[in-house]
Amino acid sequence: MKPFVMARLFAVATLGLTLATSLNVQANADDDMWQVLQKTAVAAHALSYQGIFYYEAGSQVKPVQITHFFNGKDEFARNVVLDNSPREVFSQGSDLVIFSPKNEKIIIEKRHGQNMFPAILPTNLDSIKQSYTLRAGEPDRIAGRTAQMLFLEPKDSLRYSYRFWIDTEYGLLLKSVMLNGNNEIIESIAFNQLALIDTLNLDWFHPKIDNKKSYVMEDETATIADKGASTSWTLKELPSGFRKVDQMTRMVHGKTLPVTHVIFSDGLAAVSLFIEPITKNIKPRVGHKLVGGTSFYANVSDGYQVTVVGEVPEITVAKIANAVVFKK
Amino acid sequence: MSEQISALLDNEIDDEITAHIIKAIATNQQAAEAWSQYHLIGDAMRGNVVLSRQFKQNLMHKIDKEATVLAPNAALVSQIATIKHRSKVPAVWSIAASFAAVMVVGWMVLNQQTQSGHDLAPVEVALAVTSKTPAIDQGIPEEYLNAHQASAPSASSYYIQNASYKE
Repeated sequence: MKPFVMARLFAVATLGLTLATSLNVQANADDDMWQVLQKTAVAAHALSYQGIFYYEAGSQVKPVQITHFFNGKDEFARNVVLDNSPREVFSQGSDLVIFSPKNEKIIIEKRHGQNMFPAILPTNLDSIKQSYTLRAGEPDRIAGRTAQMLFLEPKDSLRYSYRFWIDTEYGLLLKSVMLNGNNEIIESIAFNQLALIDTLNLDWFHPKIDNKKSYVMEDETATIADKGASTSWTLKELPSGFRKVDQMTRMVHGKTLPVTHVIFSDGLAAVSLFIEPITKNIKPRVGHKLVGGTSFYANVSDGYQVTVVGEVPEITVAKIANAVVFKK
Repeated sequence: MSEQISALLDNEIDDEITAHIIKAIATNQQAAEAWSQYHLIGDAMRGNVVLSRQFKQNLMHKIDKEATVLAPNAALVSQIATIKHRSKVPAVWSIAASFAAVMVVGWMVLNQQTQSGHDLAPVEVALAVTSKTPAIDQGIPEEYLNAHQASAPSASSYYIQNASYKE
């Protein structure tokens, strides 16, 4: 009997060891994939490149020319939307200036801290790890480059899923696709041409001026930073993974009173919440709507209009609207 | 309190409460800030801007321009000077290669237009940025969508025309 027991013990031990090893291998493979995604998040900022990518959503297709330059200290980028009325977006670090033609005018808009393709991932992936899982896909070729595909899938139904194609050599994001719960593509952005650039020249970093058009600066007083200490409302439990990232008071076209605008993010998807008191000249709005990947939800609570908009499933905007509690 | 202050500005409040709010504005710093911010917003919406936000930059820029006019052409009328400056723009671009340069180009263009008599009130900008408001059943109300796209950290909004949301 003894040898048999020994053999059984050995078998159990081996099995245990094999299991532990395979779990370990699995954990390592997961770590490796997150490492790849981490490299991707950094590569978009730290490499200098030029190319053309196509943005597709619904029936819309927009080619965009991008030039991105990093000199080891500062980051410069120019995006030109190549259509009938080319829009130019310039950024240095997290500051953006947009020159967009509107009829006979060119509007100059200033923005801050937006994540534009291919820099759509935050450099700290912790919040994404909390709400999504990562799975490897098949190797592919995008824009003439070898790519590794990764599936970023939500752990719940509160957000969309993504597929990323990552340059195996440089780690740069070559293609990103957003899908809804039915696996239908909502938005796709992919490089069609891409090359790394090796230059210190910044001659390209200026807008193309059209002397026939008048240039107007967007009204900057339209938004005021808000410290977020509201006396009239609070937020109870938010949908899992979403955190408040910003709050401001802004003027919204057609409204006489300023509107409170709160922004939430799960690391990738962003949702805006608007709160405004209902006055005699505001017609209250109630309803919900889904257009492409953008959900909209409006309700009325304690004399306030609550409106939520975001690139998330409808349930998420409804949950955020219902998380607002007014103090009596 | 901020709601009451804005209601006061809109003349939507009873006289008894008015006195109370004015007292609060005089004593409470947060209320005083809200009062002045709402006035600023109101002024901007109506286009009654006393000093433009770029006043200092415009002034400094005009001073810079004065210095350049030390050239023999100094006596020429401002119209011709404007054309001269336009022709100099590309030189400025290649020298000042930074984000500030992008903004300076913006100011130069704005200045040129101010000189040629196209002084634009902020209210025109506000109207140009946002257009007509559709009802919910026609799509997502554009005013909220625009505000979301302007401030949300994930922004593919630059690539799409908002018109697509009117369908």
